[in-house]
Amino acid sequence: MFDFSVVTNNAHLIWEGLLITLYYTVITIAAGLLIGLIVGLMQLSSSRILAFLGRIYVEFFRNIPLLVILLWVYFALPIFLGINITKGWAGFIGLSCYVASFYAEILRAGIQSIDPGQTDAATALGMSYKQRMFRVILPQALRRMIPPLAGQSIIQMKNTTLLSIITVPDLLYQASYISSFTYRPMEIYTAIGAMFLILLVPLTLLARKLEQSGMNVK
Amino acid sequence: MNSAPHGKTAPKTKTGEKRDFLRLDDICLKYGAKQVLFGVDLEVAEGEVVVLIGSSGSGKTSLLRCINLLNQPSSGSIVIDGDVLFHAEESGNGHMEIPKAEVNRIRSKTGMVFQQFNLFPHMTAIENIMEGPVTVKKQDKKQARERAEELLASMGLAEHGNKYPRQLSGGQQQRVAIARGMAMDPKVMLFDEPTSALDPELVGEVMKAMESLAETGMTMVIVTHEIGFAYEVADRVVFLDQGVIAEQGPPSEVLLHPKHPRLKSFVERFHDSADLLRPFLEAKQSEQAE
Repeated sequence: MFDFSVVTNNAHLIWEGLLITLYYTVITIAAGLLIGLIVGLMQLSSSRILAFLGRIYVEFFRNIPLLVILLWVYFALPIFLGINITKGWAGFIGLSCYVASFYAEILRAGIQSIDPGQTDAATALGMSYKQRMFRVILPQALRRMIPPLAGQSIIQMKNTTLLSIITVPDLLYQASYISSFTYRPMEIYTAIGAMFLILLVPLTLLARKLEQSGMNVK
Repeated sequence: MNSAPHGKTAPKTKTGEKRDFLRLDDICLKYGAKQVLFGVDLEVAEGEVVVLIGSSGSGKTSLLRCINLLNQPSSGSIVIDGDVLFHAEESGNGHMEIPKAEVNRIRSKTGMVFQQFNLFPHMTAIENIMEGPVTVKKQDKKQARERAEELLASMGLAEHGNKYPRQLSGGQQQRVAIARGMAMDPKVMLFDEPTSALDPELVGEVMKAMESLAETGMTMVIVTHEIGFAYEVADRVVFLDQGVIAEQGPPSEVLLHPKHPRLKSFVERFHDSADLLRPFLEAKQSEQAE
């Protein structure tokens, strides 16, 4: 019933798609972490305006479906701003901004879970805000944040498949392309699903292990 | 203006001939709508050990936390070693904007020990002690480590430098915290109920460490419930009641012959339970046992 020769015959296309998927996973996680850190710290700021803006960002991106964000950035934003946005940039911006809202919440919660006495002690030593954050609060908070960050990043990898809708040639896009001329969707999509499983199951197990060691740190 | 009689003079001390060692003038503090300190004046001389006592809610911890600006008073002024750390008048007109970097610099002239120790759990004992000198004072790491080892040894913890806080007992953690405060070479050490979170058998070792610190001439402001300890170690006992200083003086006067009615009942509780010197007797016993 299964004839996987269509997969092996088109391995180069699948390989290209896999690289694109991994590439967007890595760069959007990196950009998302950076934006998330900034937005997370904004939410914790003593300035009400900054905190409010951070809150707005999170609620905005968290409550719009990712597919809508991607389509909007690709099709509506260029008209809105009167500029050209390539599908690559649209995908990068949409995915990064979306995951950043979740990272921001994880960071905020992680930082808030640290005993205020730690801030007191660091402040009493004469540390500046930056020193307190980077020397005392974040090193402790990050350990607690590793499990949820890992979980969100795994979701992010799966979410990159939505890029195929705006014709970025990721794994799923290549799959639909191959099935369009081989007429063998069953083998192709089965293979794609298996590839995600092979990539993500070890990562999930690793995240679970980190979670356990994270508990010991507390 | 009358409401803050010393407020005007405090900022001038930088140029004036007298350098106030530690001086709080007319400190008022509010948490939201609730006022907890109502114009407290406190002057501490170099080498003096001042113990703040009072029932819970009297404002003693709040006052202590004002000294290094962990609590921001609504009005009053704070001068440490001749530097103005805070100055604001009740009207809100005479507020002095002191840059954050300057606040942090002046703050590092104080060391603070907390009820819950608040050691950094991701650092070893030695790293906890080195953190202030290296990060804030940009001291050379090797030099800071040597000094930290010295301080740890003086606290009787020379063996425990590479242990993490969770591997130490409460009493040991608190002694590391004292060493951490001392590492900044502070002008004054602030203690916020340093023994309240300890198991009774560990109280003695921390009090002993504080007592030997006092003997070196360190200026100390201590909030404590250990009346026996206050009696032994204090040069001056300050009794706070409902956000004001109700009575102060040498321990033999304040603790043995109190005048203020509320202080009388406060101290009598300890007389009744014959508790006055208990902690010290215990500390001495454990010393002989070692």
